[in-house]
Amino acid sequence: MWLWYSWQSAAVVNDEGDILDVEINEARFSVHGAKERLQMISEGHLPPEAVVLKERFPEAKPSAHGSAELPEFEIPQPTASQLQVADEAALLLAKEGVAVSAADPDRRLEHLLRASEELRTLHLTMEARLVEWVGLFLPSARFERNRTHVAGQLSSVDSLSDFASMLDVDDAYEQPSDSEWKSLHDWATMVSKQGRQLDRLEHAIRVAAQVHLPSTSALVGPLLAARLCVEAHGRSRLARLPSGTVQVLGAEKAFFSHLRSGTAPPKHGHIFMHPWISRSPRWVRGKIARMLASKISIAARIDAFEGTPMSQNDVDEVEAKVEAIRKEFSKPPRR
Amino acid sequence: MAKHRRIRPVSETVLLEGRNVWTVNANPSVAVRGESLRMFRGIEHRRWDPNRSKLGAGLLRTRNDPTLLLPNAGSTVLYLGAGHGTTISHLHDHLCGAKNRFGGRLVAVDLAPRCLRDLAYLAEHRPGLVPVLGDARKFDTWGVLIPSRVDWLFQDVAQAGQVEIFLSAVRRFLSKDGIGLLSLKAASERHNDGGDDDIFAAAIAQLSSEVELLEHINLTGFEDQHALFVVRRR
Repeated sequence: MWLWYSWQSAAVVNDEGDILDVEINEARFSVHGAKERLQMISEGHLPPEAVVLKERFPEAKPSAHGSAELPEFEIPQPTASQLQVADEAALLLAKEGVAVSAADPDRRLEHLLRASEELRTLHLTMEARLVEWVGLFLPSARFERNRTHVAGQLSSVDSLSDFASMLDVDDAYEQPSDSEWKSLHDWATMVSKQGRQLDRLEHAIRVAAQVHLPSTSALVGPLLAARLCVEAHGRSRLARLPSGTVQVLGAEKAFFSHLRSGTAPPKHGHIFMHPWISRSPRWVRGKIARMLASKISIAARIDAFEGTPMSQNDVDEVEAKVEAIRKEFSKPPRR
Repeated sequence: MAKHRRIRPVSETVLLEGRNVWTVNANPSVAVRGESLRMFRGIEHRRWDPNRSKLGAGLLRTRNDPTLLLPNAGSTVLYLGAGHGTTISHLHDHLCGAKNRFGGRLVAVDLAPRCLRDLAYLAEHRPGLVPVLGDARKFDTWGVLIPSRVDWLFQDVAQAGQVEIFLSAVRRFLSKDGIGLLSLKAASERHNDGGDDDIFAAAIAQLSSEVELLEHINLTGFEDQHALFVVRRR
């Protein structure tokens, strides 16, 4: 026996499709009333009509309209005005769902991280252009030591001659035209602003990652944790990945080239960023990456299921393991 | 001299003109995705880009009557995997018309909030369009919006097990003799050694066991690795 229900009606049906009892609410619903009903159904709760029938037929199995198991029967139809209200309520519900999706920290973290990636690329290109541009006019100035300060210094002066005396180099032999200088100055202002903007972005990523991924952040730092989470398309997905995948996350090109044409498999993807790997001798990096990836997997699972975050002690234990591996393989393997 | 291309009306609101499909714009002077607008006999039409819409491509490719691919104007239809609403908007032109003058109802389901953002915006200007944020496979959560069986159903979900999802949707929501369209993306199925043709052959076998397969439209050229299956429920 089945308890069929829709958002405003319910019926008890036997296996042959005969209706034994039916409750239909023919009231004129407000859009909000209908919306609440629709929400109730989508969350798997029974509407009041079905609750009434459930009391009369406790053995009937509740089954929402559209379920596979229901037998064929004459389904009670909503009135035209109810149908209209349901449509309006569905639109409202959809809009609400869209608005609520902004609460998803995975999506927000992705925007932050991708924004910082894009800005960094842009910043480096623009900074390189700036150094070359100024170098054209001031050939005796060398910027190897203080590339990052060029933009800030140049944007604070009013003419190229001032900049030359600031750097204590020969003034330009060939001066830029007025409009050319203004363009150069604007360029420098933009580059120096980008530097500050990047710092702000990274701070935002750190804050977001430490809330969203406390354990992974404690283990490998918030920036790397955020990157892994975004690359895996979300925290719960990262938690579901085998640690072998976490290890090569970000090295897809090398990994699939390995699968396709048998080149050497990558030993590490994004996790190479971590000093435990990048600052270790070449021959232990793979071993450390393997161990670290398994620890990241555990941390990601703690985060995804919101368990007690990893303590500093846990992190120290992992660091001790890294040290142990480095010590055990302190000499490169003989070939 | 203007070129004279043969204009074939498919319905009151859909025109085939050479290699183009046009629908009467239900939201006058607004293009949904920057498609061209053009007057035919004093009525504004929107170009249905076959490179962006698999249904649009199907209308051009089908060897049968193109009217078979479209629902009756003014009916209730179900669309699973609505995306950003390109196909939906043209379907709405045909099904509902301006200010829903035909009284159609288009229930469009998609899982991604990003897609629903566009659909909800579309629905504000196009009465009759009902966007639903939900999983196309979880009929229990939104099925109550389809109180009686529909005569036309479209599915474009691009995920593994597309055929099975389609068949269960057909069983639950399509009326007898109703038309179902399945847009199958071969690349979404689990990788197998046989390639796309094997995937399509397996889909044909699976479909034929339950429904009457009317046509298999190959969309190569418009959308690679895709095929459109037209079925009728027995």
